[in-house]
Amino acid sequence: MSTLKEILTRRPVSATIRLTVPAGGAKPAPPVGPALGQYRLNLMAFCKDFNARTQKYKPDTPMAVTITAFKDNTFEFTVKSPSITWYLKKAAGIESGSSRPGHVEASAVTLKHIYEIAKLEKLCLGL
Amino acid sequence: MAVGHFFKHLSFTLSRRSMNPYRSQLILYTGPLSLTHCKQRHELTTPTSTKPTISLSSVHGSINSSYLSVRIRCPKHVADTLSEALLCFGASSTSMDEEDGCKNSDEICIDSTFPEFPDVGVCISQAADSIGLKEIPKYEIKMGGQNDWIKKYLESFHPVEVTEGLWVVPEWRTPPDVQATNIILNPKLAFGTGEHPTTVLCLLLLQGLIKGDEVFLDYGTGSGILAIAALKFGAALSVGIDIDPQAIESARYNAALNNIEYEKMQLHLVPGQTCPPSMHENGVGKDQTSFGAGPGLMPEKDKYDVVIANILLNPLLELAEHIVSCAKPGAVIGISGILSEQLPYIIDRYSQYLEGISVSEMDDWACVSGSKKRNL
Repeated sequence: MSTLKEILTRRPVSATIRLTVPAGGAKPAPPVGPALGQYRLNLMAFCKDFNARTQKYKPDTPMAVTITAFKDNTFEFTVKSPSITWYLKKAAGIESGSSRPGHVEASAVTLKHIYEIAKLEKLCLGL
Repeated sequence: MAVGHFFKHLSFTLSRRSMNPYRSQLILYTGPLSLTHCKQRHELTTPTSTKPTISLSSVHGSINSSYLSVRIRCPKHVADTLSEALLCFGASSTSMDEEDGCKNSDEICIDSTFPEFPDVGVCISQAADSIGLKEIPKYEIKMGGQNDWIKKYLESFHPVEVTEGLWVVPEWRTPPDVQATNIILNPKLAFGTGEHPTTVLCLLLLQGLIKGDEVFLDYGTGSGILAIAALKFGAALSVGIDIDPQAIESARYNAALNNIEYEKMQLHLVPGQTCPPSMHENGVGKDQTSFGAGPGLMPEKDKYDVVIANILLNPLLELAEHIVSCAKPGAVIGISGILSEQLPYIIDRYSQYLEGISVSEMDDWACVSGSKKRNL
């Protein structure tokens, strides 16, 4: 997704890793361990950095993390709020979506739920 | 679909062999496994060699949670969206190499990990369906090599010179300067490898504070690095506490690596229940019961000459009173594990207990230190 200019001026990227990690709960165990260890990234540095930066979220909220690993074994990461899917499932009180989307309903949410989720997402985008 | 059925069968067979009683919870980060189970798996995968190698046999705990490694092939232009969709539909992680190994230049391989349930094929097809892909991408479930990442991770450690004359050296490497103060570490999977700015800040603080014969409390000891360093600088006794059993194990192991006697470095596992401030109103007794299963297991009050807590913002705020209570009046307390932007909260919380507050910073991280007020 980098522009040509970015590629020329930045460190060479070796991989893009995506993970879901609970806020404040990163540990050097699967899935964090294998995903980052594979590229020899400093697991501890990531865990500590991620945990410190997600202190403001409710503990164990699953955060979407995207890590860019560079060829020199350094990395950068961005943290995003939970996916809308997660909020919806939580509001509806279910563990997983419908097994036949479009045909079978799994649960229902109220308009108030949707309003609250939208507010939260707006807040996260602003952070 | 015949192929799908085959993979379904494969994952079911896996679950039969594995004896982890916690797997049904689908929580991959936590959950202690039985030690004997871990040891058995290690005997199968650890290669034998006469050269000093990274000792995997000493690595225990939740690192052995089983997961499936799946390689998925898809067109390049959908790779990003597919990765995100996979995470929504059950994948634990996805990685994409910049230079992929796939021969077809239009396609890219996504390496992903999945928990053993639910069925990988179903997740992938649901993910593909959700982003409008007409055909389900081809995928391959890879077996074995699950401990490779641990090896690679541990291999990435090199000796670190914290400051002149002070090195932190991984167990499997030789100290570059035999004359210097060398802290030998096998971090295993506990926090505290010597490289992190907060560890460095705390080590420097300790070095300045320890003159000889102090009693030191490492609040949140992790690998035990600070407790060991304090002893090497001349402290009389180090006590390390942590809520993670893996940390205590790691610290014990590292103490032995540095030839530290059991009496000089005491380690205690404390329950993870943080003590909410409101409990203090009910009296001192309530405060103590949440931190020890019995007498002698909790850090005693007003006992320590130096206390350092290198953890995270939230526990530091919640446990402020407890951390401070352990120190003698006038003793120095160091607080770290915080980002510079989180400083105002810490200073605000601790200023009622500490005087002479000073701050040291490195990269984005900070360490706050001060002396416990005498008339608290």
